[in-house]
Amino acid sequence: MMNKSICIVFNKAPYGSQAGRELLDIALMAAAFDMPITALFVEQGVYQLLKGQEPDILDIKNHSATFKALPLYGIEDILVEEDALQKFNLNVQELVEIDGLKTISSSHAQSLLANSDFILTL
Amino acid sequence: MATYSLLVTANPYSSQGQLSAIQFAKTLLEQGHELMRVFFYADGVLVASRLHAPPADEINLTKAWAKLAIEKDIELIACVTAANKRGIVNVAEAERNALTGNNLDPAFEISGLGQLTEAMLNSDRLITFG
Amino acid sequence: MKSLYIINQPQKLNQALPFISEQDGILLIEDAVVVATYGSVQANHQTLYVLVEDLIARGLKDKVGVEQWNLVDYPQFVELTLQYDKSVSWL
Repeated sequence: MMNKSICIVFNKAPYGSQAGRELLDIALMAAAFDMPITALFVEQGVYQLLKGQEPDILDIKNHSATFKALPLYGIEDILVEEDALQKFNLNVQELVEIDGLKTISSSHAQSLLANSDFILTL
Repeated sequence: MATYSLLVTANPYSSQGQLSAIQFAKTLLEQGHELMRVFFYADGVLVASRLHAPPADEINLTKAWAKLAIEKDIELIACVTAANKRGIVNVAEAERNALTGNNLDPAFEISGLGQLTEAMLNSDRLITFG
Repeated sequence: MKSLYIINQPQKLNQALPFISEQDGILLIEDAVVVATYGSVQANHQTLYVLVEDLIARGLKDKVGVEQWNLVDYPQFVELTLQYDKSVSWL
């Protein structure tokens, strides 16, 4: 039986909107349904994965910890688009350490998006 | 004939998203397709309150979705986590959270993200309006 | 798979373009329709559509660059979502 695949696209920085948090919730639910899931970080979405976030200074819950746990939920494809890292002067060592985190080119991102059955942004 | 589900995340009265969604819904139904479920998430859940009072000469989105749901037997589901956060609660959630009132419009149901995942798996197309 | 990318804010078109494949379609709706009325888009062979009801609402129907943009109405919007294998709203 073919299972439909889903690519969750994080394209916004954390905390200014609920996008990161609410997309994460979808990812975790889809994982519970055994759907193959890819988490793709593009544009300002790469900031979702930056180490050293301290949102509690604003009484905001730190959801970056949940990204670290994605592999535990069966989400092993955590892809960060290289152009975004470059554009924002970030390197991959500055991102939280997650098993399965890889950087990819924009053309790889393009084919990933082309081949996923569903793509969700918020 | 195809089966559609819609994911609606747009704030009902702050942007055009829900107007586009309902127009799309009406059109696909007119074309003879099926609309299995409309799942309201993020700010989209706000439309599920029965307490909206937009001006009389403007569309009442809650009533518009309700009318469509009743006429065409469509499920309107608001995500429980998103709804609770934004103050859209049915009787059960109001009690569970010790709130002094409830406001869910009867045409809508409160449920979990599993309903969205299920809609993805069982529909031919999922269209998002945000 | 051929995807229909649905763009509803003008600034999102250029943000989405690097991720849209040659065989995909792009549909402008809501405020994004203004993009179809000025300049030309650096598309990469994608088919470009713009929702006519949103143009008419904004008084822009006669200003569309019809060399690049295909005007579609809501019934055709629905048809496009079936013609393409999936729809992607780039929010």
